[in-house]
Amino acid sequence: MNRNKISSRVGIGSLLVGLILAASTAWTDETCNSPYMSGLIKGQEDFIHVWTLGEKGLGDGSDKLVTVDVNPSSKTYGKVIGSVSVGGRGEAHHMGFTDDRKYLWAGGLDDSKIYVFDVGTNPGTPKLIQTITDLPAKSGFVGPHTFYALPGRVLIGNLSNAADKGGVTGLAMYNNKGAFIAKYDLPTGTVGGVKGDGYGYDIAVNPAKNVMLTSGFTGWTNYMRSLNDVVKDPEAMKHFGSTVVVWDLKSMKPTQVLSVPGAPLEIRWALAPGQNWAITGAALTSKLWLIKQNPAGTWAAKEVATIGDPSKIPLPVDISITADGKGLWVNTFMDGVTHYFDLSDPEHPRETYQKHTGRQVNMVSQSWDGKRVYITSSLLSKWDKSGADNEQVLRGYRWDGHELSNSFEVDFTKEQLGRPHHMKFTAKPAAQVAFLGRAQSAPSP
Amino acid sequence: MRPYVGASSLKALAAAAGILGVPAAALPAVDPGVAVAPRMEFTPPRPGTYRLQKIQPAADATLLDPSGRQVRLSAVTTGKITLLTFFYTYCADPIGCPLAYRTLLDIRTGVDRVAGLEPRVRFLSVSLDPTIDTPAAIGNYREMVSQDSALEWDVLTARSVRDLLPVLEDFGQDVSVEQAADGSARRTVHHMLKMFLIDQTGMVREIYTLAFLQPTVILNDIQTLYLEEKSHAPRSLPPDHLRSKIQTQLD
Repeated sequence: MNRNKISSRVGIGSLLVGLILAASTAWTDETCNSPYMSGLIKGQEDFIHVWTLGEKGLGDGSDKLVTVDVNPSSKTYGKVIGSVSVGGRGEAHHMGFTDDRKYLWAGGLDDSKIYVFDVGTNPGTPKLIQTITDLPAKSGFVGPHTFYALPGRVLIGNLSNAADKGGVTGLAMYNNKGAFIAKYDLPTGTVGGVKGDGYGYDIAVNPAKNVMLTSGFTGWTNYMRSLNDVVKDPEAMKHFGSTVVVWDLKSMKPTQVLSVPGAPLEIRWALAPGQNWAITGAALTSKLWLIKQNPAGTWAAKEVATIGDPSKIPLPVDISITADGKGLWVNTFMDGVTHYFDLSDPEHPRETYQKHTGRQVNMVSQSWDGKRVYITSSLLSKWDKSGADNEQVLRGYRWDGHELSNSFEVDFTKEQLGRPHHMKFTAKPAAQVAFLGRAQSAPSP
Repeated sequence: MRPYVGASSLKALAAAAGILGVPAAALPAVDPGVAVAPRMEFTPPRPGTYRLQKIQPAADATLLDPSGRQVRLSAVTTGKITLLTFFYTYCADPIGCPLAYRTLLDIRTGVDRVAGLEPRVRFLSVSLDPTIDTPAAIGNYREMVSQDSALEWDVLTARSVRDLLPVLEDFGQDVSVEQAADGSARRTVHHMLKMFLIDQTGMVREIYTLAFLQPTVILNDIQTLYLEEKSHAPRSLPPDHLRSKIQTQLD
């Protein structure tokens, strides 16, 4: 769908319907975007932007934003139509839109730089317009991971700190112009009876509850070290997040620390109004955890499902919740399997489907209607597999509710691009509608 | 806090648009119905128990008041706590201007109930469509919104879209317009509803989009800025006899 494909009369009506839906169900993606973000793409996305780690000897070796045409009606469907190199290699990882969906912020876990791409002016040809380099100096944090849109601001969840490069970190707030506003430490003391570990990773907000959840992974000393070395080092294995923090969003103060062992990573709120539960996956223990408010008003975390065989450490990484909140895709990196869980009863998720989608798989993103699923392969430059198993691909699938069918594949090694990681969707504006500043003349009746 | 006003106010808005000379066909054919208020299932923190971030300085520009006089935007975004909303008079999107209007009325009722607050607060509405929303047009709008309260509610428009664009860009207020075949802009079709809370120094301290448009929270935020303002106000001078004594000692 072109998200702005509206004509004046009929268009306003359909726009209203769309916006009302957005108002009530907006806190998923397509399906993991901030609820404060406008312009969710409810139909066919036109482009996928892939934040790609540079690899020495491959192309220019730099991190880059790669744009792939994913509209099946296009002549260049499934093809790379452009890439923007940032001229350096800083461990490209995650991205997030600003609240108006015009700009895409992309971070480097190693160099802590934040690149701002204009994807609103012409989504098919993003432009790098700003590089923010003051995160460590302003906040003391390094490893910008999650970019979460708040009105007029971007809240950044970091992985590490500049002092010892361990896992104790915090959140940094910037305005949409790229100016630093504030920092918030993740709690290391006891909050609500549970001691915080100070670790950071994802951010997820439920505006109706004024609640923000944050999860925790590990610091620079671990994520920039070979995975084999980390696993063999008992001391290093002690330094992974084991909590989810509940925050009062308005005051930006932690109200509870929940014990969620095993490095809880991505957090997704359920969608239907009144559901008010979230789910997260713990990477090291291979478990799904439900986070839910109890009748007394406090929040609790409960282990609700196992992903694969934990004894084999399948390493669940990314998750993607369906727009109706009744299904969840989970990628397990080590065995290259994409799992589907039925979340109709969130207390008892059931795995109903799985498919081997690659030799290593990390990110998974689905369209709003759930009919298209995309996966990428790279986890971290030091954690990806080696040799023939170091497959670096973007794969597109159709999902009919029963089977994933491969619809296209881009080999990022063959294309001399690098290691594909995070994906974000954009759509072309409709021919009849433009942002005010881009139309040629003033409105007239 | 009283519930949102009903359909009568929507009709008043539509009527206002008619008064302003907007062709009947320009109004949407759909019935805006009852706006969907954002859900609020929590007790917000009390005013003064939290600190609002300093997000960015409010933009400045020369705009027009209902008399057609030039007004510096900074003149009406400083000196008081200002709640700024962009609007257009013919907007009938139920989760756009009408919802903003109802929310503002609710907040105004709340402000009126807090002792000493009303003189320190200003509402400011700036039109997104200077072509249709002429000074005369916004004058009618101002007359409508200024009823039943002493709270200052200013309404401004721009001389042209060119004058307005830097303001929108600076605030991060995006607007979509219908585009003719030749690429020229026609009517406004959608804007992302945002309200900007600006402190007396002209600093944007909070931005409310749809999911955040909770009147109780916004009123608490206004009171938080009011308490902050009071805590920063110069302490009253010591009585004259003490001032004389201090001055003597200093001499």
